[in-house]
Amino acid sequence: MNGSFATAWYFAALLFFIGLYCMAASRNLLRQLIGLEVMSKGTLLALIASGAMSNLSLAQAVIITMIVIEVVVVAAGLTLLVKAYRTNGGVDVWKLSSLKG
Amino acid sequence: MIEYREFLYLAVTLCALAAVMSRNMLTAAISLAATSIGVALVLFDFRAPWAAVFELSVCAGLITVLFISAVSLLRKEEPFFAEDRTRFRLLPVFALIVAIGGWIAGWPFFEALADYARFGARGQSLGSMLWESRRMDLLGQIAMLAAGVLVINSVFAAKKAGK
Repeated sequence: MNGSFATAWYFAALLFFIGLYCMAASRNLLRQLIGLEVMSKGTLLALIASGAMSNLSLAQAVIITMIVIEVVVVAAGLTLLVKAYRTNGGVDVWKLSSLKG
Repeated sequence: MIEYREFLYLAVTLCALAAVMSRNMLTAAISLAATSIGVALVLFDFRAPWAAVFELSVCAGLITVLFISAVSLLRKEEPFFAEDRTRFRLLPVFALIVAIGGWIAGWPFFEALADYARFGARGQSLGSMLWESRRMDLLGQIAMLAAGVLVINSVFAAKKAGK
């Protein structure tokens, strides 16, 4: 049982790293959102592995909450992205400097 | 011999790498959907069907549709904004370093974490858990959904006012 848990957490950490690297390395807002999604997949794997050892119902309840929040974050993020594209003509984060003091 | 669940983990990781590294955004969105499908299969394998169905319908369905519609709105952007691809080509190397480092250093830590995971073991059904113990979570979900609708509404309303 411990081996299965450790394997899940190992791959969850790997997924989290891939998403974090994507968010840090990319200047494209859309790609950063994809990185955020990959990070959330890693978190989800870690949650379900923990839940399988302790309380699967609680883990499912938390995962359902997480998925709902994820959708709202992605929808709001994409809306802001389209808005930024229409305002600045690009999705490059370095161009988002209109509020610079 | 590689087991079914480990094969799924590998497939999810490879799909995530493809989503991050692909040059075309449409391919990235579809790879992300494949990652979600892999995660949903892992959830089914963990005997968590409700979470798996949510993951499959919402993450692999709705979020992919949102991404693809956003990509179609930004289609003209791609020729004008070419990113430095070197960082993304280096990602498998960095991922391999993290994988080897995690195998050597992280494994005992993950095994120690299993003791903490056993801490809150109590058997309850999902319905009673969600409606009795985690009622605040449901309220939070409603608040988050309202906030999301408000953000989308306010952004598009601001555009109309700007015209």
